[in-house]
Amino acid sequence: MNGRGASKGERDPSQPRPPSEGWAYLSYMIGGMALYGFVGWLAARWTGWPVLFPIGMLAGLASAIALIIFRVTRS
Amino acid sequence: MSDVSVMSTASGCHIFSGCGYPAPSIENFYFRPIFTVGGIAITKPVVLAVLAAAIILVFFYVAFRKPKVVPRGTQNLGELGVLFVRDQILRQQLGRKGDKYLPFIVAIFFFVWIMNLFSLIPLIQFPATSKIAFPAGLAFVVWVTYITIGIRAKGPIGYFKRMAVPEGAPWWILPLLAPVELFSNILVRPFTLAIRLFANMLSGHLLLLVFGLASWYLFSFSIGLLFSVTSFVLTIILTGLEVLITALQAFIFATLTSFYIADALETSH
Repeated sequence: MNGRGASKGERDPSQPRPPSEGWAYLSYMIGGMALYGFVGWLAARWTGWPVLFPIGMLAGLASAIALIIFRVTRS
Repeated sequence: MSDVSVMSTASGCHIFSGCGYPAPSIENFYFRPIFTVGGIAITKPVVLAVLAAAIILVFFYVAFRKPKVVPRGTQNLGELGVLFVRDQILRQQLGRKGDKYLPFIVAIFFFVWIMNLFSLIPLIQFPATSKIAFPAGLAFVVWVTYITIGIRAKGPIGYFKRMAVPEGAPWWILPLLAPVELFSNILVRPFTLAIRLFANMLSGHLLLLVFGLASWYLFSFSIGLLFSVTSFVLTIILTGLEVLITALQAFIFATLTSFYIADALETSH
């Protein structure tokens, strides 16, 4: 069985990644934006600087992309 | 019942009779209670869900009541279904060690698929999964299942460490990334699982309603006939597309469920 069947470190690089990998990346993007967007929104409300909200969302997006890069390059 | 037929005949609207297009809306997804049991209103989607469960129960009972080595008839069909789920969904994610989760995944796959298929069956024509409660309930079951499996496999601390610490990331960036990883693994997963199924079935049903209603609304013995026929042809094409989508969404739901279980069981980093 290919892909996820073997333990992670032994993934055969010649095999394509299973489609569920794509959904994992999507979930990172949504999760990152939602989480840091929420943190940014809270910070914006407390400090009165509305710009913190988009900054939070961008930070979330950036960390999601970083997570995906680490995940892809690791194996 | 707010099917195409009922809606269009009730409104009696036509393009040249002076009334506007009775566009389908979210109203078409709300049903009058058929009856109430102890204060709980039983509506069409509830009946459909129970019906789906009954169909699956009866089918698999008949198929595997007296299993033979050389399968015939219903048993053949049942084995085809179970083997499809095992080979194309479960083992793709979990390998052979996942076979003990086969009953769960088979149940999830067929339950979702039958509930989706109700979208296309004449006189029923409503996917129970286009009510958010059903995908959400299923996603909740999946969520509890994979978290329980993960905790049993690695212990609570080991499991949440695995859920929070991203693989391959250097330590100095962890404070920034760990919350995202945890959030996406624990909260976004069940949420997207439910929303994906629900939104696909809702939009598919709405699309069929739009064109089904339009082919009735535009019908007249004039140039309108051309529009009506176009609309009708589109209804048929989109019905074909829906056949594909009902199966595909059930497949994705079951695939992701087994992926989450595989992810919870995974040991090595």
